[in-house]
Amino acid sequence: MTEIDLDDLREELLQCRRCGICRNSVYEAKGFDGICPIWRNTSGFETSFMRGKIQVALALLDGTLERTAENAESLYQCALCGNCTQICAAEFHPAHIMETVRYVLNELPNESRDKIAESIKSVDNPYNEDPSSRRVWLEELGLNVPTSSEILYFVGCTSGLRIQNIAKNTALILNAAKTDFAVMENEPCCGSVMMRTGRMEEARENAEKVVDAIKATGAKKVIVSCAGCLKTLRKDYSEKFGIEMPEILHIVEYSKELLAENKLKLKSLDNIKVTYHDPCHLGREMEIYEEPREIIQAIPGVNLVEVNPNRNTAICCGAGGGLRSYDSDLSRKIAADRMKAFEETGAKTVVSACPFCETNLIAGSKLLDSDIEVVDVVDLLRRAIE
Amino acid sequence: MDPSFVQALVDIVGEEFVSTRADVLLTYSVSASIGYDRVVPGTVVRPASTEEVSQILKLANKHKIPVTPRSGGSSLQGEVIPQEDGLVIDLLRLDSVQLFKDLRSVRVGAGVTFGVLDKYLNQHKLWVPVYPDSSLVCTVAGNVAVNGAGPGSGVQGCIAELVLGLEVVLPNGEVIQTGTEANPNAPGPFLRYAFGPDITGLLIGSLGAFGIITAVSIKTFKRMEHFYYQSYGFDTAEGAERFLSELRHNDVSIPMAAIYEGRILEFFLDMIGEEYGIPQTEWPPFTVSATIGRIRKDQLDSDIKMAESICMELDGRVVGVPELPQGEWEDRMWTFVRSSYVHGWWWMMLYHHQAPTNWHRSVEEIWNVMDKYGILGQTAGFLTGGRSYNFYPQLYFDPVDREEEEKVREAHRELSQRLFKTGAVPFKLARYWVEDVEEMKPYLQFIKNLKQNIDPNGIMNPGILGGI
Ligand SMILES: Cc1cc2nc3c(=O)[nH]c(=O)nc-3n(C[C@H](O)[C@H](O)[C@H](O)COP(=O)(O)OP(=O)(O)OC[C@H]3O[C@@H](n4cnc5c(N)ncnc54)[C@H](O)[C@@H]3O)c2cc1C
Ligand code: SF4
Ligand code: SF4
Repeated sequence: MTEIDLDDLREELLQCRRCGICRNSVYEAKGFDGICPIWRNTSGFETSFMRGKIQVALALLDGTLERTAENAESLYQCALCGNCTQICAAEFHPAHIMETVRYVLNELPNESRDKIAESIKSVDNPYNEDPSSRRVWLEELGLNVPTSSEILYFVGCTSGLRIQNIAKNTALILNAAKTDFAVMENEPCCGSVMMRTGRMEEARENAEKVVDAIKATGAKKVIVSCAGCLKTLRKDYSEKFGIEMPEILHIVEYSKELLAENKLKLKSLDNIKVTYHDPCHLGREMEIYEEPREIIQAIPGVNLVEVNPNRNTAICCGAGGGLRSYDSDLSRKIAADRMKAFEETGAKTVVSACPFCETNLIAGSKLLDSDIEVVDVVDLLRRAIE
Repeated sequence: MDPSFVQALVDIVGEEFVSTRADVLLTYSVSASIGYDRVVPGTVVRPASTEEVSQILKLANKHKIPVTPRSGGSSLQGEVIPQEDGLVIDLLRLDSVQLFKDLRSVRVGAGVTFGVLDKYLNQHKLWVPVYPDSSLVCTVAGNVAVNGAGPGSGVQGCIAELVLGLEVVLPNGEVIQTGTEANPNAPGPFLRYAFGPDITGLLIGSLGAFGIITAVSIKTFKRMEHFYYQSYGFDTAEGAERFLSELRHNDVSIPMAAIYEGRILEFFLDMIGEEYGIPQTEWPPFTVSATIGRIRKDQLDSDIKMAESICMELDGRVVGVPELPQGEWEDRMWTFVRSSYVHGWWWMMLYHHQAPTNWHRSVEEIWNVMDKYGILGQTAGFLTGGRSYNFYPQLYFDPVDREEEEKVREAHRELSQRLFKTGAVPFKLARYWVEDVEEMKPYLQFIKNLKQNIDPNGIMNPGILGGI
């Protein structure tokens, strides 16, 4: 990451004209139905949405506000979901600039940020879990997957350690399509959450480690099943650190290719009605909206109904930007709010394409006592493979 | 702020909705108004009902704490900048909507934005056809408090023309209802001018100085579905001005119409032309960009013919670029946001109304001031009702250049005085319009008397309405 010029940063923050459109705009013709999930699910003071966050950032930078944990709260109480950016007419990217502010002000007290960074540094995952359990799911599957190949499945920490069904089903899809692929022995964390929370120097060191590890597998193509890993490996490494990467594909992109090449044979699933949650990192950040939908719709018997809003104006699940660790109650509350919207579609299943979203939506579902099932696209696709 | 006062607020709305935190107060020290100094309040409270607002005002009145009602915080002329150590009442939690389909009206809480209301009414093929360009953020109540206007106003006029009644919490905490709903037996809002003097009108444009509007009852209309977009060209300002007047005189239904002088049109097209797909065109010296809209196709066809014949009679020409008005109309909830924020300048705004036949006088003075101070700006506006043109000129400055900002503040003051002399009027009574203006003294004194009676402790938005 290049040195941040504070004057430039300030000038960029001053692109905000304080119009407030990033609070709760409803613009039916353009698909907006609310903007900031934090505003909606907290006390709703000005600090909760981007207009106020920018004012706080400017004041912390110029010393008008003292740099305390309380004064910094609004900077971290943000999922960096980018919906404010989507509606903002000014020539800057509010959500990205918030990430830069977090980096510049990274001496601000924030325990969860520091714990996560330490955990990634010491055990290669943000959950402080034993890294040796990373390939256990493969053993459970009974698949003989090598550690080097031209195609690498980069599993990611959440699929590898928490929701292993996603890892398993991704592997089974690849296997069904007769794709030879590798899984690393000691896969490092992509470092996404370090970047989001402002620990950029450590994120750079971590990125170098990841790149070396990927190189060692001989991979020419890397498949991921996590929206955060996708954005980090495909976009952030090159944009922030100037690192060249092999081709990085999300499994929804790769599966679409497999379907087009007729490498997967699908059977009908019994007339199920599903809806789709657009993960912010996959949608707004990488502009991947249609592939997951095309996969869902390719499965006979599956009826996809859209939740409102969706695609580029979708509301975040509340997990991103380090929010899930910084304020897990709020994060869950946002997820529950989102689950309510899914319930209104009449669907019995919510499909997503990010293990982090899935984890949070499940937590939200519990909070709401909802009986909607939350699954990943790979779970659904795997069920349909003959 | 006195801890017992803050505790009493907590008792009314709950701890979650009262804040005295430094970061929160800082964010309420500003609004969308640029070129105004920030003032940090002492407490912010977010009530959820009229009853809570009433209790809060009783309390503030007892303690003589200055109060700033705040809704969207989108006002541009410093109207919602609070008092130092004062109380800000954020009204966005009052979000009810009640439709009176048979009465062709709707009642909305103070927190309901135009965007939310439009989506709601669209289900019923209805609308409130005034769309401030801040529709996504500003509330109907906030717009009534400033008496705003927007695209759609070409037919209906400013928002005041649509209001049927208001629920208002007075500075002493008492709640009154104006219009037909003042009679609890009435089926709902159907007539504003009920029970004598127009108390509704007293509150419209009052900038919160006489009380807090907690609900607005407003007319709804069948949504227009037939539109025609056209740009008409004229060699003289007079031709364009007369065109607008004649259109309305002949009852041509134009929800949105604006006059652009050549250089301003060029600037506007630089900002937004590509997005709207506006082709390279030989633009005339003066262009009228017009949206004609009707409920029925036969009405529309007749209006199109009438507009064309008026244009010809005035030696104008049909430019044949529908993309300009179409973009303005279809993007009406944020056209202005997009064209005003895509460049890097900050700006101060000087909203005012001018007789359409006097359009050129405002434009002349805006240019005179820009030339005198060596600053940039623009002269945009739109037709409001048949008889007025709503200008929203902007004066630009570099956000990090304090000197230039000072210059613009001074130019802004001078412009208001110059515009006053051209016969222009503000729709909100900012201090700089009437300060030291001899001819306005009796009028201001009358307002002062009203204020003294309604708000003897002077707690409601002191200094905002005409400096009172
Ligand atoms: C991008 C942009 C475009 C704009 N375009 C237009 C436009 O086309 N037309 C237009 O008219 N305006 C426009 N404005 C200005 C602004 O949106 C209007 O003044 C708007 O009506 C303010 O509403 P608000 O809810 O944001 O009120 P606020 O800014 O919160 O308050 C405005 C004033 O009303 C008082 N007030 C607020 N709520 C109440 C209440 N419930 N009871 C009593 N007093 C109250 C406040 O104390 C303050 O004095 C624009 C602003 C922006 C940022
Ligand atoms: S971030 Fe953009 S949308 Fe939000 S207040 Fe600032 S300019 Fe407006
Ligand atoms: S990035 Fe998302 S959570 Fe953060 S302020 Fe913007 S809309 Fe709110």
